[in-house]
Amino acid sequence: MLKFTVNGKDYAIPVESHERLLDVLRNRLWLKGAKEGCSTGDCGICAVLMDGKLVNSCLVLAIQARNKRILTIEGIGTAENLHPLQRAFVKSNASQCGYCIPAMILAAKNLLDHNPSPTEAEIRKATSGILCRCTGYVKIFEAIKEAAQEMRK
Amino acid sequence: MGDDPTTVATLRNGEQLFVVGKSVQRLDSVDKVLGRPIYTMDIVPENALYLKVVRSKRAHALLKRVDVSRARRHPGVVAVVTAQDVPGINESTAMLPDKPLLASDRVRFAGEPIAAIASYDTSIAEEAVDLVEVDYEPLPTIFSPTDALRDDAIKIHPDGNIAKHMKLRKGNVEEGFRHADVIVEGTYRSQFQEPVPLEPEAGFVIPEPDGSVTCVGSIQSPFHVQTGIAKILSLRPEQVRVIQAATGGAFGPKSDEIPIDVLGMAALVATRTRRPAALAYTREESMVGHTKRHPFEITLKAGVKENGKLTAWEARLLADTGAYASLGPLVTIRACFHATGPYEIPHVKTDAYCVYTNNTMAGSFRGFGGPQAHFAAESHMDEIAKKLDMDPLDFRLLNILKPGALTATSQLVDEGCGLEECVKRVVVESDWYRKREEYSRIKGGKRRGLGIAIMYHGNSLGPEGNDYAAVHLQIDRDATVRFRTGLTEYGTGGPSGLIQIAAETMRLPISYFRLDAPDTDLCADTGPTVASRTITIGGRATQMVAGKLSQTLKEIAATTLGVSADQVEASNGTYYFKADEKRSVSYMEVVEEAFEKGISLREAGAFTAPKCEYDPDTSQGTTYLQYTFGAVTAEVEVDTETGQVQVLKMVTAYDVGKVINPLSLEGQIEGGTVQGIGYGLMEELIHKDGVVINPSLADYYIPTSLDIPEIKSIVVEYPGQLGPYGAKAIGEPPVVLPAPAIVNAVDNAIGVRLTEIPATPNRILIALTRTRSNAPRQMGGQRV
Repeated sequence: MLKFTVNGKDYAIPVESHERLLDVLRNRLWLKGAKEGCSTGDCGICAVLMDGKLVNSCLVLAIQARNKRILTIEGIGTAENLHPLQRAFVKSNASQCGYCIPAMILAAKNLLDHNPSPTEAEIRKATSGILCRCTGYVKIFEAIKEAAQEMRK
Repeated sequence: MGDDPTTVATLRNGEQLFVVGKSVQRLDSVDKVLGRPIYTMDIVPENALYLKVVRSKRAHALLKRVDVSRARRHPGVVAVVTAQDVPGINESTAMLPDKPLLASDRVRFAGEPIAAIASYDTSIAEEAVDLVEVDYEPLPTIFSPTDALRDDAIKIHPDGNIAKHMKLRKGNVEEGFRHADVIVEGTYRSQFQEPVPLEPEAGFVIPEPDGSVTCVGSIQSPFHVQTGIAKILSLRPEQVRVIQAATGGAFGPKSDEIPIDVLGMAALVATRTRRPAALAYTREESMVGHTKRHPFEITLKAGVKENGKLTAWEARLLADTGAYASLGPLVTIRACFHATGPYEIPHVKTDAYCVYTNNTMAGSFRGFGGPQAHFAAESHMDEIAKKLDMDPLDFRLLNILKPGALTATSQLVDEGCGLEECVKRVVVESDWYRKREEYSRIKGGKRRGLGIAIMYHGNSLGPEGNDYAAVHLQIDRDATVRFRTGLTEYGTGGPSGLIQIAAETMRLPISYFRLDAPDTDLCADTGPTVASRTITIGGRATQMVAGKLSQTLKEIAATTLGVSADQVEASNGTYYFKADEKRSVSYMEVVEEAFEKGISLREAGAFTAPKCEYDPDTSQGTTYLQYTFGAVTAEVEVDTETGQVQVLKMVTAYDVGKVINPLSLEGQIEGGTVQGIGYGLMEELIHKDGVVINPSLADYYIPTSLDIPEIKSIVVEYPGQLGPYGAKAIGEPPVVLPAPAIVNAVDNAIGVRLTEIPATPNRILIALTRTRSNAPRQMGGQRV
């Protein structure tokens, strides 16, 4: 039985020992925001926050999430009330195909939670575990800078 | 943003634009930042079966026996399909009928699909893959085009190993060489580049009660998939409905036969079991199974006068298309036309060959032969300049295409050519002469260099196919304008750009528009979403269809206002009488009036580009209807101890004709530039005896956020003849120039010419060792 908190909500669900956190989020909780891109921890697009740390959910066994707090993209904002990062990503055209974007936004949120005024070097480092093949990263950096400014207000 | 009618752009012909040219927010962004379930594997029906594919372990062999009986008996396996289970034609192809969906008697590359296994549980299907017994009888293997062209080479396909030989003959090349003072020869090699869309291939098929099927997938070209699946299932195309789900990157491989592989296998299972069936490739399967950028070996011989004028250019291009042609023949044609680079040369002779080998397949990939052709041509231009002791920039400017010049295909360059301005702008922005001079004086282990490369890119399909696009517009009673087309969104922003064009044409705020998913049941055939043609061709169709619908609305407004339709002007959702602007009626009222009177507010139509006329034996004539031009400089630092190349800054300038959406445009340029940097510096899919040895993102590197330089993008606008408002293609061009610009910068930094990409530390160190003793240091540029 896996007891954990996802996006502020408590769950207790039976899981198999081989199931990954990614499988449980996508297939049991129907949270499809975390994507599967490689299954080997190389692309980072399955990233979620676990107790305030960015983890590749394809490399975390579901049982390792026991008693942990998980935050996924679905817990960040809503259409009516976008998170400043989501707003900035839309405004800056930082999302093209969009497949890496949930993970990028979570990585950025994790950075801004700890460091409200990051330098570009810090932004690059914080997002370096997540691959993007469309944007060339430029607009992503711009969006994170803009959101940081907005969130400091 | 785009709904603000107060700022207005004016075209050269005086026409005013309200929305086109502005950074309007894309229509797909909000779903994406919210992480909504919109991609294929997010929306698979709950009762679906999942497939795993049995793939060939041999690069070339006869299949003596494929025994699936143990796999069939494996608990939890619901179905196993092989070539024998194909009710129609066992074929999944892009253009030549050379590739089976499932191999039946022979395999031609390691990784070719042989069977598919379906279970309600992916891991059960995966277990059963190992239970399929395949007996191979090995055949001789060929892993290079040179070997494939030998007289005694085994034929990989019945008609031999050449899938296409394209010739270009302009003037008389021998005469051109006689006029030359200096002749420079060189051979340049490029690698398999893996597209790496972040979403690997995925699709599912739902069997419908009436025997038809619905296919949903991560695809670029729904109508190509429809035809392909219909052939496999022996159905009429209209019995195959294809819907594009949100697509997590594509870059080429999702346009041709690969989605037919995925959906074809799923369709075989779905029609046999009467259950939905889904197939998602793993990253490894994607990297092995889908098409990549063709490796090219290009040999160039150029003749030039002492004064720097090119007199002759001879090129031989060998493209490795792998085991099956895919769109290799068309990639080869494009490379053949562009093999001189963007220069006017009186005598040109090019022979380009698309050759089969037993490597994995190459096919469509952003740039489509352009990157390979320009890597060779632009490296060679620097080598010629070196021989002439000229600055490579000044040498280029003496020979570039300008209005009035003739291209290699003897096409007259018209006024829509901003190449010279592109070059001049990057020269200023990169501080070319000063930095080349400054860097020539750097000593020590870390050297800096500045390189340039320039390009042209024939727009849209040209000779590569029937160039048409269809668009539907429909106004609902709540006044929403539904925009539908078979042109797909896979990250480019193209369809959002089309809506901008529709909003401009109808003078309606963008907020009224809604982009429907491409669906073959609801759209007319639109051709493929490739060749950067969404804005150029789709944009023209949009202008036409939106124009008709706008006219209908004006006529209704005119009746209401009691004036004639030509006296009615539309602006930002209001129709008013030109002579008296106070007499007006709102868009909402006009729509309501139409519904009350039963007037149809639907329009559909297609635009077909004029045909390109050229001689197929000499390639002389009109090969493309307009060209995008560009220039890029790369500034690099090379560590001569480690061989590491760091790109510090890239300056890009593109003549895009007319900007539709500046923000989307920058996104295309920045993204393409970074993909091009990967191509030049680090990306290489390596085959060993036909087996891909680095099919993972741990072993195949693409640029991360730590690898990208400062990118400065400049845009110039010389309107073309084809696209709406003079707009030109920009999806593909940005990937073309980074590699040659970087390699030329490396040469400027350390005096070493890399004739093979990517410029890995290993290659740099080997080249340094080879040339360190005798190469004189390249000096900085001198103004001529």
